[in-house]
Amino acid sequence: MTEANRIPGGNDIDYSCPITFTFNGKQLTGYQGDTIASALLANDIKIVGRSFKYGRPRGIVSAGEEEPNGILQLADSDATAVPNVRATQQEIYEGLVCRTTNGWPSVDFDVMSLVGDLAAKMMPPGFYYKTLMFPQFLWPWYEKVIRAGAGLGVAPSVPDVDTYDKLNRHCDLLIVGAGPAGLAAAAQASRSNARVLLVDESPNPGGSLRLSRDLIDGQSAAAWIEKTMRELSGKANVEILLRTTATGYHDHNFVTLHERRSDHLPSRQKGASSRQRMHRVRAGAVLLATGAQERPLVFANNDVPGCMQANAVSAYIRQYGVRPGKQLVLMTTNNSAYQTAFDWVDTEGGTAVVVDTRAAPDPVLVARAKAAGIRVMVSSAVIETKGLRQVKSAVISGFNSQTQTLMGRLVHIKADVIASSGGWSPVVHLSSHTGTRPEWREDISAFVPGVSKQNMWTAGAVTGDFSLASALGQGIDAATSALTQYDLPRLAVPEVQEAIPLEMEPCFHIPHTRATSRAPMQFVDYQLDVTAASIELATREGFESVEHVKRYTALGFGTDQGKISNVNGVAIAAKALGRSIAETGTTMFRPNYTPVSFGAMAGRDVGKLFEPKRYTAMQSWHEQNGALFEDVGQWKRPWYFPQGSETMRAAVDRECLAVRNGVGILDASTLGKIDIQGADAREFLNRIYTNAWLKLGVGKCRYGLMCGEDGMVMDDGVTACLADNHFVMTTTTGGAARVLEWLELWHQTEWPELNVYFNTVTDHWATATISGPDARALLSELTDTDLDSDNFPFMAWREGVVADIPGRIFRISFTGELSYEINVNANYGLALWERLIEAGKKYNLTPYGTETMHVLRAEKGFIIVGQDTDGAVTPEDLGMEWAIARRKKFSFVGKRGMAREDCQRAQRKQLVGLSPIDTNVILPEGSQIVFERPTQLPANMVGHVTSSYFSPTLNKSFALALVRGGLDRQGETVQVSIGPDEWMAAEICSTVFYDPAGDRQNV
Amino acid sequence: MSNADQYAVMQQRPEISGLARSVFADADKSQISGVNPVRLNEIQCGHIVIRGLENDIKDVVQSQLELPLPTEPLSCYQNDAACIRWISPDEWLVTVAENETHSTEVKLRLAVEGYAAIVNVSGGQTLLQLAGEHAEEVLMKSTSYDVHESNLKVGKVVTTTFAHTQVVLRRLDTNSFELVVRRSFADYVFAWIRDAAAEFGVDTY
Repeated sequence: MTEANRIPGGNDIDYSCPITFTFNGKQLTGYQGDTIASALLANDIKIVGRSFKYGRPRGIVSAGEEEPNGILQLADSDATAVPNVRATQQEIYEGLVCRTTNGWPSVDFDVMSLVGDLAAKMMPPGFYYKTLMFPQFLWPWYEKVIRAGAGLGVAPSVPDVDTYDKLNRHCDLLIVGAGPAGLAAAAQASRSNARVLLVDESPNPGGSLRLSRDLIDGQSAAAWIEKTMRELSGKANVEILLRTTATGYHDHNFVTLHERRSDHLPSRQKGASSRQRMHRVRAGAVLLATGAQERPLVFANNDVPGCMQANAVSAYIRQYGVRPGKQLVLMTTNNSAYQTAFDWVDTEGGTAVVVDTRAAPDPVLVARAKAAGIRVMVSSAVIETKGLRQVKSAVISGFNSQTQTLMGRLVHIKADVIASSGGWSPVVHLSSHTGTRPEWREDISAFVPGVSKQNMWTAGAVTGDFSLASALGQGIDAATSALTQYDLPRLAVPEVQEAIPLEMEPCFHIPHTRATSRAPMQFVDYQLDVTAASIELATREGFESVEHVKRYTALGFGTDQGKISNVNGVAIAAKALGRSIAETGTTMFRPNYTPVSFGAMAGRDVGKLFEPKRYTAMQSWHEQNGALFEDVGQWKRPWYFPQGSETMRAAVDRECLAVRNGVGILDASTLGKIDIQGADAREFLNRIYTNAWLKLGVGKCRYGLMCGEDGMVMDDGVTACLADNHFVMTTTTGGAARVLEWLELWHQTEWPELNVYFNTVTDHWATATISGPDARALLSELTDTDLDSDNFPFMAWREGVVADIPGRIFRISFTGELSYEINVNANYGLALWERLIEAGKKYNLTPYGTETMHVLRAEKGFIIVGQDTDGAVTPEDLGMEWAIARRKKFSFVGKRGMAREDCQRAQRKQLVGLSPIDTNVILPEGSQIVFERPTQLPANMVGHVTSSYFSPTLNKSFALALVRGGLDRQGETVQVSIGPDEWMAAEICSTVFYDPAGDRQNV
Repeated sequence: MSNADQYAVMQQRPEISGLARSVFADADKSQISGVNPVRLNEIQCGHIVIRGLENDIKDVVQSQLELPLPTEPLSCYQNDAACIRWISPDEWLVTVAENETHSTEVKLRLAVEGYAAIVNVSGGQTLLQLAGEHAEEVLMKSTSYDVHESNLKVGKVVTTTFAHTQVVLRRLDTNSFELVVRRSFADYVFAWIRDAAAEFGVDTY
């Protein structure tokens, strides 16, 4: 054994399996079963970090999730790095690399500590707020320095190579904590067929039983754990998750669990399964068997490495086979800590002194201690630690626990570990997440969970009852009650012989011979360097609410959420304010109980799976033919199809001219399509659209405009009459789902008497639009349908077979050219497309994307809802009075809204065309518009550019814009801001730039 | 009296074969090895949505599909030729053999006397089958719905969330499930399932 503090007998340690790991660049050894903390202590490494504010050396304090100091960067490589891992929970594995997260230039020599106490006196709470106020321009520099001096771990700089995932779980009973109460509860619950989930954050079940000397049913606690686990693992209805922390308890008994699946394995073994997993649990009932955490006492220099929780010392000896020193001084206010002294002297060569604050502790226990060679000092307290980088000795004074005052002479006792126990704090955090405030119980000097609105149960030490017999009994009772519908007979509570029954006297803060403000620092919150003096100062400065004290001093703000500091802090604040702790109350705890990595929160919602990408049936062709894609909602739409090294502008110009002069093809499958059937379909359309629908004949199509109740345009599209009671509505690509919901809303809530049904057929129909003067010639080669204009006019549709595929052909146009939108069952969409492309070769059929579509439609003044409108635009603002049928017998949605005074006033912003004076300048979309070039800024804007392009057909730039009173300003010139102090004059004109008579689409 | 002529029903299937293309034609279907892989495969068939009032269509479904109309929420009925799933109080999904889609639509349409919507949506969605000992766990990674057999019993049909989209999910037996997947989301769903199942292995066929 090379490790100085390693001893035999650690229950969790596999002594046959040594492991090498690296800490701060130094190779160390430990064993399978060690945590980083136990392995460091075994190697007699005392300093694991430097404190946040004062740079003081800090060592391991605890053996669990409450650890404030042992916060390390786990960094085998940058790609697998995790900042702020608790050394007390992270198991070591071969090749593990970790380092301290603070201390500059190194943890053993920290510049901050040189200024030492002097600096400390100069850095009271609020120091940063008070000192670094001026000059303001230095704030960024202050921030940089403070962050470098303070911070914890470092965020990895390269992508994470591990995978993380999430799993949804449902259970009737979630039991948090596999200690005595949790195991007893699980054993009871397992007898029903209820679905039971038992979780514990340790690698091994048992909780406090793992250190217990108590006997259960005459057997050792370890034997009972094993027996219970064996029974549970045989039950199909019980699932057990270890290394899994319940991190958040949310509404409706929704609990998040953070499972570390392979963090304890060497990288090479991690393989296919995820590194960490978030379980999202919906539980019928939640049973908190979260136990209690030991509170250390507050005394001078209580942060010197070697000062530990009493119970943690036992854990290192019993679980990990590590005795972190030779000479123990143990200060306690209660009986339970005596066990630590017994554990210590049980090992070879260990000496222990118990300093008991009470005047008359249990004489049997004291006698037992003395018999074991332990010196017991009653009515005494450790008031100060001597030693800088590690504990050298303890300064002990007589102490009156009733008056909390010192008495008698000081005694110095040599020690290398000073353990303390001020009692136990139930782990109330998860209950607090549900919104219930923890309640103070004077008899045990601790907060217990309040009554929760959730279906929450508690058992064991978390209830404030620390006896083992109660834990087992409460576990069984709580499981029975939580599963009352199963009417389970109660299991017999096992017979318990407790080694040491708990008795205690309240004590939190040991006074010093000097006043708190002048004594050496007495730490309450190790992680954020909050001292007793700073809490007292905060109360003197007027912070009376414990929430304010917390925020002013930063008490409990660390990654440990003040697990071991909270109660001591509240007690000191209460005393300083002259109130009881019950009156002072505690702060609340928020999720997460311990930090959760971002990876686990993201799960698999990363990379390609971050968000669905929706594809049309023709996607593979678009990809093979070089399309660039534009996101429209979740859809991927071809944006344009560059050829060779063509620029976007060149490609779009080419595509535009092909449509205007020959024929182009567009994948229009993404447009929303809603099948509408029913005797009242027509009446429904008449009410939901602003224009008239009653007379639309079978075989005809009509453009429709849809408004909200406020009279503002919300969607538009063409709807076709397929048969008397049957229509198909098209919507904008992005509006499809919203419009379908809108139709259902009006039908279900306002007009349920109408006989009509809506179904989405967006995905069912694939749509290929061919557009241009040659469209008819091309289509005629692939169909027998009569395309003659008289028989198949503009705004009509026909059923027909195109390229052997049956479909519906809609003669509607978004480009202003002769167009046919061919719809076929999407299973045949690609076949249709490829056959059109093949037949189109001789017409130079040109695929075009959304950009060309936008240019062509804008040349025609066709709006895009959401681009040319912004939710505050009425049909009249768009100059689309023709689409409002005010005389419809039944009202329509938006009629009253658009009649409001404000919608009818003059000088509303209205949609107009803009022709820039310089026909090569494309006005940036969104540009602000003024009537006169302003002499000073800010100036009142009168509108903005909504759409702007270069038209290769017209060989000029053009735009659509919303301009105040624009419809009455035709021919006037406005100024458009196109850069800092740069303006472009533009003439207001019609929104229709091309073929105003519509001859080209109507041939 | 039927009012079938007031609705447009069309044969959408080409007379020549070989033109249809699976929505998963381009998906990565390579095997992911594993001890006990999840099996993933597409079942191509015809999909018809019926919307209407129970009383208007109960007899139609019984006479035309020889199946009772499932009126119990989240239930389904199935015979060799068809399966009808309850989707909502006025919506059902029927699947039939792909080449029976049109004839089924026609006979339902002709038989309806009241007002019901009957819509062929075969191009818009497809069926995926997910099977294997770990199939349920793959679903647990994908949906917050409780897929445990005590809740999602054999034959139960639920429309629910699936990763960032939705599916209609049905348990076929203890270890196999059917998912109705929308065409435009199919690529995403397929990739999601393969990713979720990767730790167990995936056989796609």
